[in-house]
Amino acid sequence: MFKKLLIANRGTIAIRIIRACRELGIGTLAIYSTADKDALHVRMADEAVCIGPANAEDSYLSIPSIMSAVLTYGADAVHPGYGFLSENGDFAEACRKSGVNFVGPRARHIRLMGDKPRARRIMKRAGVPILPGSQGTGVTESRDAQADAERLGFPVLIKAAAGGGGKGMRIVRSMAELQKAFPLARAESEAAFGSRTMYLEKYLEEARHVEFQILADNNRNIIHLGERDCSLQRRHQKVLEEAPCPVMTPRLREKMGKAAVRAAEVVGYSNVGTVEFLLADNGEFYFIEMNTRIQVEHGVTEMVTGIDLVKESIQMASGQPLKLKQRQIKFDGAAIECRVYAEDPETRLPSPGVVSSHHAPGGLGVRVETALYDGYRVPVHYDPLIAKVIVHADDRAAAINRTKAALREYLIDGIRTSIPLHLRILDDPDFAAGHFSTNFLKRFEVRDEAPPLRMAKAS
Amino acid sequence: MEVREIKALLALMQEYALVELEIDDKKKGKVRLVRAHDGGDAIAASAASIAPAAASARKASVRQAASAPASTIEAAKNAAPALSDNQRLVTSPMVGTFYRAASPDAAPFVDEGDSVRKGQPLCIIEAMKMMNEIEAESAGRVVKVLCENAQPVEYGQPLLILELG
Repeated sequence: MFKKLLIANRGTIAIRIIRACRELGIGTLAIYSTADKDALHVRMADEAVCIGPANAEDSYLSIPSIMSAVLTYGADAVHPGYGFLSENGDFAEACRKSGVNFVGPRARHIRLMGDKPRARRIMKRAGVPILPGSQGTGVTESRDAQADAERLGFPVLIKAAAGGGGKGMRIVRSMAELQKAFPLARAESEAAFGSRTMYLEKYLEEARHVEFQILADNNRNIIHLGERDCSLQRRHQKVLEEAPCPVMTPRLREKMGKAAVRAAEVVGYSNVGTVEFLLADNGEFYFIEMNTRIQVEHGVTEMVTGIDLVKESIQMASGQPLKLKQRQIKFDGAAIECRVYAEDPETRLPSPGVVSSHHAPGGLGVRVETALYDGYRVPVHYDPLIAKVIVHADDRAAAINRTKAALREYLIDGIRTSIPLHLRILDDPDFAAGHFSTNFLKRFEVRDEAPPLRMAKAS
Repeated sequence: MEVREIKALLALMQEYALVELEIDDKKKGKVRLVRAHDGGDAIAASAASIAPAAASARKASVRQAASAPASTIEAAKNAAPALSDNQRLVTSPMVGTFYRAASPDAAPFVDEGDSVRKGQPLCIIEAMKMMNEIEAESAGRVVKVLCENAQPVEYGQPLLILELG
């Protein structure tokens, strides 16, 4: 097992990784930028090294700085977390070349799945269903995009070939819209990913985003740990996730699970990953992409399966074989995760600043993952995700109820957060009935209604 | 260092209204204790977990100041020293290993007391087998070298004190 693991990340996921390392008896080395010198992950780790200034490019995204910390301070493993360099093939390769274990798949898996048109081609050949879309390597010119759209029929979704996270994505419903949107999407892709290559996919109006968790060892033993429904997205940013998918049946889970495992098998995948599908109303499902890292919402899968995904991924990375068999994976109850963002619920602009009071909810089935503490200053430089409230209960209705109670108990004073939005979602009758698709959040005007109950402060 | 010993030190700090206390013991390692600004009970302690090259014989440095830093826990690193007006800290622009000379058998670039020209190399920070020379930003005199040869350093870590002019 590893002796010292460097966490190439910050915030909530850094805390998560430190906790897993503690259970495994692995020493932890945190890295931080100057903006994070008072961050919780810095305090919790056994050792901490400042690697650069506040801006991410020169710190958390700087492969040379991080590799220097790895080698100078003697780490034998690196965990990339999510975001930052977690899906950067060069980083995975730099680690391996330096003789350091990277907790994740191989660089070639990251690169392959990062090329979306290529991933689609591989899946098609493997018999995993994909949406009708651009063929070959994608399109860079508007006229080629238009030709594809003619063939597919509107509506279509323009996507970045090298992309993710909603950047470079546009829904278009007519040729006129396509002509306007294509150059914009392409420019966004170039800015975000350094690539002008795009591709088109047929757009399904009322589909659910259903993803399957994959776990694999270094010997191609692969299992799935069930699905998560992540349909609740705002501009392709996930807001709330749950497991199981409210409309899933055991038969469909078996079918989709097999397809997810097949997707991982066909590329010889190792470690953790997530296969994303779109699930249409009629029960048809289509491969969208594969994420080659641990995800923000991994916690909901942990709650319903009882399996510690971060510990498993570290153990797999250290060469341990997968002990779990597919038939052993059982799903118990229902889990919901609310992503708490530091943002003004009215304007949706980020709301950085000092958290003057912090009290996280607790109790049976209530799990909070956060790096917040009393007096912590949320920095401006990074992602506004500041906490995850993950709730588990016997069934979905109980989980919704428990989540509402937990959010009402959650006190984050001094900054604005997205908690009012979550409460509105949880109160929505369609949400309660499980009737929603990826369009669900469009119905909400962003207003700050129903403020959470304030706790009386101890005098 | 035992918790018992640390508690005794904390009591000492309270008694003498100290804000910061650093002890560098050859056997027990380095401990730095920093009290919170409002003089409250919150005290942060750090023990040497990243050990620089052999700690020197026991030495203690003590600071009583009006404005104390907020409680922080950090691994043993050299505390930022107090500077006079015409002195400047040379800090590391990257994480890596600090070397005083270009190679193990070469003479150090500078010694304490040396005068330096603008642009003159002062030391090397090695990162991933690449040697990065750190140059003096202006002419001056080397007052103090703060790091030991082959010591791991982080971004922003104080390396030397230069007196300008």
